[in-house]
Amino acid sequence: MLRNTKKEWLIGYILVAPFVAIYGLIFVYPTIDMFLLSFQDAPLIGAGTYVGVDNYTRLPSDRRFDTAFWNTVYFVVLTVIPGTFVALGIAMGVTRLSGRIQSLVLALFFLPYILPVSVVYRIWDWTMNFQFGIAMHVLDTLGIDRVPVFQTSTWFMPAVAFVTIWWTCGFSVLLFLAGLRAIPQDIYEAASLDNTSGWRTFRHITWPLLWPITALVLTIQLILQLKIFDQVYLFSQGGRPNDNLVMVYYIFQRAFVNNQGGRAAAIAVVLFIMVIIIAALNFQLMRMSERRK
Amino acid sequence: MNKFVAIVAASIVASTAQAQETVVWWDFLAGGDGVRMKQMISDFNAEHEGEIVIDGTTLEWGVPFYTKVQTSVAVGEAPDVMTYHASRIPLGVQQNLLQELTADDFAAMGLGEDDFAPSIWDSVTADGAQYGVPLDTHPIVLYYNKDILAEAGLLTEDGVPMGLDSREGFTETLQTLKESDAVNFPLASVTADGNFMFRTIYSLMGQQDGELMTDGEFLAGDNPAKLENALSVLQEWTNEGLQSTYTDYPATVALFTNGEAAMMINGVWEVPTMIDLQENGNLFEWGAVELPVIFDRPATYSDSHVFAIPEGNDMTEEKRAAVLEVMSWMSKNSLFWATAGHIPANSNITAMDEYQSMEPNATYSSLTANMIYDPKTPMAGVAGPMFDVMSTYFVPTLNGEMDPAEAVEEIVLELNDM
Repeated sequence: MLRNTKKEWLIGYILVAPFVAIYGLIFVYPTIDMFLLSFQDAPLIGAGTYVGVDNYTRLPSDRRFDTAFWNTVYFVVLTVIPGTFVALGIAMGVTRLSGRIQSLVLALFFLPYILPVSVVYRIWDWTMNFQFGIAMHVLDTLGIDRVPVFQTSTWFMPAVAFVTIWWTCGFSVLLFLAGLRAIPQDIYEAASLDNTSGWRTFRHITWPLLWPITALVLTIQLILQLKIFDQVYLFSQGGRPNDNLVMVYYIFQRAFVNNQGGRAAAIAVVLFIMVIIIAALNFQLMRMSERRK
Repeated sequence: MNKFVAIVAASIVASTAQAQETVVWWDFLAGGDGVRMKQMISDFNAEHEGEIVIDGTTLEWGVPFYTKVQTSVAVGEAPDVMTYHASRIPLGVQQNLLQELTADDFAAMGLGEDDFAPSIWDSVTADGAQYGVPLDTHPIVLYYNKDILAEAGLLTEDGVPMGLDSREGFTETLQTLKESDAVNFPLASVTADGNFMFRTIYSLMGQQDGELMTDGEFLAGDNPAKLENALSVLQEWTNEGLQSTYTDYPATVALFTNGEAAMMINGVWEVPTMIDLQENGNLFEWGAVELPVIFDRPATYSDSHVFAIPEGNDMTEEKRAAVLEVMSWMSKNSLFWATAGHIPANSNITAMDEYQSMEPNATYSSLTANMIYDPKTPMAGVAGPMFDVMSTYFVPTLNGEMDPAEAVEEIVLELNDM
């Protein structure tokens, strides 16, 4: 059969056109606009005046930017690797169970993941509220001083990181479980015939064969946690938001509270570049470590 | 052509003769006062059946509300009328969010400068023009549990707490309450929320004739010292165990209403909460008075709820007339609004006998003579930039983590950096 390549091309273009149009309209165009906006002294909505790189040069001496930057880094450190290991641990445990018990335990670990963030906030506020939280009554009974968890800067980030891991690790557990099930059983059988210890089995069989999944979980977590906003916003309500700022929160604050669209855009660009650099670096590291095996 | 114009004109006249105007209304009144506002809206609708109907929506107070107003004005989807805070009018005018209300508009409403106290009228004025119809003024007051105070022997003959006239006197009242062991906290304070505490702290500055802004400069002259004094008093209460620490807003109200705290400094908008609880038999005997005079003279921070018409709204003349009628009716019927604790802005209402015998409003309405408002700058206003900067340093200071002097230094630095 003769193929009309020209026609095929045309059909191809027509088929991708809706996607390209929408992608251009709601992603490419706003992104370009954001870069342009970051060089302007502009309100949230409406035209601004061109100010060159002013919005960027003021960032190093901007104390709130400093807080937001380091809090974001701190939060990533507190969640990405610990969260991945917690999920791996849970998955290793769940995989040892079988039948209905396994389904039940898995469901229990997955349950928090389906909750909306506002519900997560409510639950933990009921638990940790300084005046009325359940946990505070437990501390009282034990004779320990109450801890204002979400009202002091020392406790805030670790607490939110803990809640985040509790909330989101269900999904990573599922990924790890799928990965564990994909490892052929005969490898383990061979190992047990050789009387290999549990640790060695993990170190030399499970860990390397699971690496692609681990790398995936790490990457997903990394990008997700760099963009942290919801939990920090909710838990700082009626507290001290400016000490708990993270990058996205600071963008929100500049844009929507202070009505400074240009300065907000500059911070957004910085975050955008941060995510790209870290994601690329992460990808390269993963590839290198895979090649070594 | 003339015929065509005539037909169009005739049809417009005909349609306005029968058509009912729908006024889209946004407010941020979600508490006990929101219930009362909904009552007023339905009363209005009943009274104007067939002519005007208010289609009301209640949105989240604070940043979410004001952000939504801003975006909706930008895309031409703003409501016909909305509630607004007088303190945010300078910012709103700068952002082109508000339509000016002309002298003709006020004439059409049957309202004018003479119907409002000068400070309230001034609060809706920017560059000599008016941008809102004041509905109320809502200061903060001192709530107290009459049962507990009576038992501790701390009520005067008039049934108000002792020691309201000086720092020493009030601290002694708090100390006595602490020693009586009747409560966990003598005073419930929103110490976890710097935004809220702005009201108390600014009041205490006002009691020393302090100013936040003088000729465009933040905390000029000896004003930093006055702010430090205000913070020191509150920190002292924390250090002596006289007020609740790290307490958020809902927890503060809960501490007071369940009797764990004997007194509470909060807005008059919590009055309906108390009234409703007491009606159901779930509350002790309570009262509310003007803030204690900690420094030289009485002063209380207050803000006003006003009605405003957003920009970017191509209203027909008929629609605009309906909106003016809504604002006018609400102002003239604001006696009911006083049951929400607020002090009506319309002085014809506050002059009524019915209002003057209304409790607890009558007890605290003396404070209207001592009210102070936000400085008139686009930086001011509830949930605005100035609020935000100051609140950052209030929380650590009020809970004893930061020295008042250090906090003031940081605040001055950051405010002037905006």
